[in-house]
Amino acid sequence: MRQFLSLFWLSFLSLVFFSPSAASAADYHEQLVLRPLPQSALLASFNFRSNTTVSEFEKGNFRFFPRSLGQILQHAGTRELHLRFGLGRWDAESWGARPWDGAREGGTGVELWAWLEADTDEEADRKWLTLTNALSGLFCASLNFIDGTRTTRPVMSFQPEGDHATVSNLHLLYGVLPHEVVCTENLTPFLKLLPCKGKVGIATLLDGHKLFDASWQSMAIDIRPVCPADGECVLQIEQTIDMVLDIERSKRPRGNPIPRPPPGHELPCDTSKPYHSHDTCFPADHTANQDWSLSQIFGKPMKGTCPLTDPTVPPVCIHVPDTRSVFVSEGVRENKSASGASRCFEIPPSADFDMVLPRPSESDPAANQTPDSAIVPPETPLLYAERSFTGHGQERGGVQTILRNPSPDAAVEFIYMESLPWFMRIYLHTMEARVVAGAGGSAHARARPDESSSLIQQVFYRPAVDRARGTQLEVRMRVPPAATVFLTYDFEKSILRYTEYPPDANRGFDVAAAVITILDPDHPGPRSDQGSPAAGAGTSSSSSRGSGGGRRFAAYTLRTTTLLCSLPTPDFSMPYNVIIFTSTAIALAFGGVFNILVRRFVAADEGPEAGLAVLVGRLKGRLLRGAGQAVKGKS
Amino acid sequence: MDGTKVAPGRTAGLYAGAAVLRLAIFTLLPGLANLLTGRVEVSTPVTSFKRQGLFLYNRNVSPYDGGVYHQAPLFLPLFSLLPSFSSFPIFTYLLYIVVDLLSASALWRIADSGEAGSSALFTSPRREKRWSGFGIAALFLFNPFTVATCIGRSTSVFTTCAILHAIAKAVSGAPFGAMVALSFASYLSMYPLLLLPPLILLCYDRQCPERAINSGFRFAATCVATVAGVLAVLFQLSYFITGSWEFLPSTYGVQLTLSDLTPNVGLWWYFFIEMFDSFRSFFLAVFWLHLSSYVGGLTLRIRRQPLVVLTLLLGIFAIFKPYPSISDTSLFLAMVPLYRHVFPLMRYTFVIAAVILYAAFLGPAFYHLWIYAGSGNANFFYAITLVWGLGQSLLVCDLMFAVLRDEWEVERPEMVGKEIRQI
Repeated sequence: MRQFLSLFWLSFLSLVFFSPSAASAADYHEQLVLRPLPQSALLASFNFRSNTTVSEFEKGNFRFFPRSLGQILQHAGTRELHLRFGLGRWDAESWGARPWDGAREGGTGVELWAWLEADTDEEADRKWLTLTNALSGLFCASLNFIDGTRTTRPVMSFQPEGDHATVSNLHLLYGVLPHEVVCTENLTPFLKLLPCKGKVGIATLLDGHKLFDASWQSMAIDIRPVCPADGECVLQIEQTIDMVLDIERSKRPRGNPIPRPPPGHELPCDTSKPYHSHDTCFPADHTANQDWSLSQIFGKPMKGTCPLTDPTVPPVCIHVPDTRSVFVSEGVRENKSASGASRCFEIPPSADFDMVLPRPSESDPAANQTPDSAIVPPETPLLYAERSFTGHGQERGGVQTILRNPSPDAAVEFIYMESLPWFMRIYLHTMEARVVAGAGGSAHARARPDESSSLIQQVFYRPAVDRARGTQLEVRMRVPPAATVFLTYDFEKSILRYTEYPPDANRGFDVAAAVITILDPDHPGPRSDQGSPAAGAGTSSSSSRGSGGGRRFAAYTLRTTTLLCSLPTPDFSMPYNVIIFTSTAIALAFGGVFNILVRRFVAADEGPEAGLAVLVGRLKGRLLRGAGQAVKGKS
Repeated sequence: MDGTKVAPGRTAGLYAGAAVLRLAIFTLLPGLANLLTGRVEVSTPVTSFKRQGLFLYNRNVSPYDGGVYHQAPLFLPLFSLLPSFSSFPIFTYLLYIVVDLLSASALWRIADSGEAGSSALFTSPRREKRWSGFGIAALFLFNPFTVATCIGRSTSVFTTCAILHAIAKAVSGAPFGAMVALSFASYLSMYPLLLLPPLILLCYDRQCPERAINSGFRFAATCVATVAGVLAVLFQLSYFITGSWEFLPSTYGVQLTLSDLTPNVGLWWYFFIEMFDSFRSFFLAVFWLHLSSYVGGLTLRIRRQPLVVLTLLLGIFAIFKPYPSISDTSLFLAMVPLYRHVFPLMRYTFVIAAVILYAAFLGPAFYHLWIYAGSGNANFFYAITLVWGLGQSLLVCDLMFAVLRDEWEVERPEMVGKEIRQI
């Protein structure tokens, strides 16, 4: 009877808990999109997404949603969370537009922004502290160092991606740690959040040695509530890893990682040069269009597919022209997309998957035109941005951001946000924007101060408070078509207390990346549809954002690199010396004044004797007296 | 009582010369003006002429909600009334020149009153040997430190002007005016409040006989009440301008707690950079106590010559206040020539001059080595500020010695020129 009962309960429970999963099989999916880039680079975008309904989540049934993270969110009242770990620089000049339109990447270091449910600012701050400390433990990152000086409340830059019933009590907080070194200890907890834990499926390709050796990489976690029009709201977690690998570098065997020049006879020469002969060689750009295989690049083949994943989403896609041949393991089905620029692979659940992309053959007409024509040409980004310091010395300096709009006919409107440390005291009155016509920044620079006001449309500025709050600067700007805009401002470097310097004080202080959010010209406010992701491979990728892509008012997001600001340093070995020297100077002054004030003047030959002569006299007297007594005693 | 009468033409010539010199530097060497504005010796966080605060104020952002602006709120409407600096800088230049000339005229009046040589309670036997008001004003106006302060557009020139006017009013028997001027100075920079006791004594000694208040206590109470009243009005006005009391911690709090550690010519900044965190508040209290401890002692000991106390206190503040600059030194050096008659009694004039010149020339060089060249470290500039402080404290001590000896020689006329010692 008991057995029967337990069996009954079991079946009942399974009915309760597993029937919804049968109803919506697409609760988890994962996909890897590979995209060869010019200059022998390869962009690999890993995307993992899982859902849980909000009601289940509130009951504590997390299913595919990672429990550790879910409990933190519940405890800290977090409604939407975005966490980024970034490393390296995206070379927009050669690699083009960023993956996911820049929505899934962060600047160098760690970035975190979240919408917290709180009635007051103080309560939001408390919950933010809880959240950062908990995430710090979960991801082995120094997120607990996101304190008041590194937290800002962006006004214009970020908009919630999810569907929130009420936004009035949601507080957006943004924290950034540009100095944080992202490394393999952050990857391990990241993989643990996945339902298949990196044991099978595309996650098996993720290896710390390869990921953190990449030219650029970004790990992202996005959690947001999504309410489809016809169903229950779900809480969605999307984990994304984008990395740009240097194919040449990744192909180096692990046992022999040091690059060595190839011997003379293996050197590929450009035979078209007129001076080419048996003893002269102009090295050909042999790095373009290399042949590579998945197991070479990632160090191991992919192990099957995750059994929990949605079978309708192909796990691996590659973005190359249909004319190129791609060889895959046995049993893998290839689906070419209608656009002719991408293909996806359906992989049997338990087989190893490998893929070889051979060098395009000489007969291939595409390969003979330009070295890069064997790949899908990257899209041009909406805006190029680079930021640097100007000036010299450790007293003051300037920041210059060069923003270039490559489009010949469309203006770009965007929000430029910086959160600067408090010890960079910026002078807002020096901020100016000047436009240089011509996309290439041509020589005829026309500095027109009156134009500054039309370029800068709106400024939000929150000045820093020493040791309590950083500077927050948000500028809404508009760059005319085919123009380059220089945005500059000056700042002063303050000197800190010696305990406030890090151990490597002369290295300088990292300044977080500027976040540039390009506003969608068609939808200046939040909107419900979404653009096609830049790195997405055809249909599958847009479906990955389809149901839950969320609202985006940003057409494109990009971040500049971080900066290294060197501050004047005191001599760290001096505390005792300085205390002693200064105190001596003060004592000399005070003693001198006191001495003159309290003592009386007398002529040099008046008054009681003083000084050395008195001492000597006294000593003499005592000695003489002693001698006299001794004489007396004798007599 | 009056010094030598100076022809009006000479007066105008002196003022015109000083104004033309400044205007020429402003217009012919605008780079020098901007350089001086940025020099740590000229502008400190509490006096620097930077348009940041004004920029925010003109855009209805509170300049005190942040750590960049530390000056009194009444500067904001003053500077926003002037035509924009970027388009008409000449008006700003003229304002600074006029303030300098006003300071010089106040100094002239102090010199002409003869208070330095013969006060109400004491008349120096050497008082005949003195410089005219013209000479003293010229020394002030053409002192390179004064010129640099004016060119650097440090707001401390307003404090200097207010202090000099307070003293000038006091010696001319206008206690109310003196107290109002001192309130303005205290409102702008806080530390002049410490000058109140000797200034009250000076006013008391120099009252007009027909309107004199004989009770010292009543007189002091009236003066303190005046200062408190004027300060209250100024604070209330600031509150109306900025809309909150936020300016109090930003302007006076930063002087009390030294939260901004930008290098300057004083002794505080490096001490508190290197100070251990647990002792910071203790030493802040000690430094402020030390600064204010001179007031009582000097006022009591040199009761017969309150102007000397004021001069010596200005010298001490130029060394030991939290954010000193060369402008404070220029104010002290402006007062020192009033004591021409005791110069022969000073013992270390050559050493003092040498040390001050040495520090004045090496200071900028060492700062450059530290911040720009990177071939020296912070200790270079720190060492030179120590020398600068020691040189000035030597001058203060020596002047005090000379004045006291002068007093003593009235009692002992036979000791003139003899060797003496202190017991």
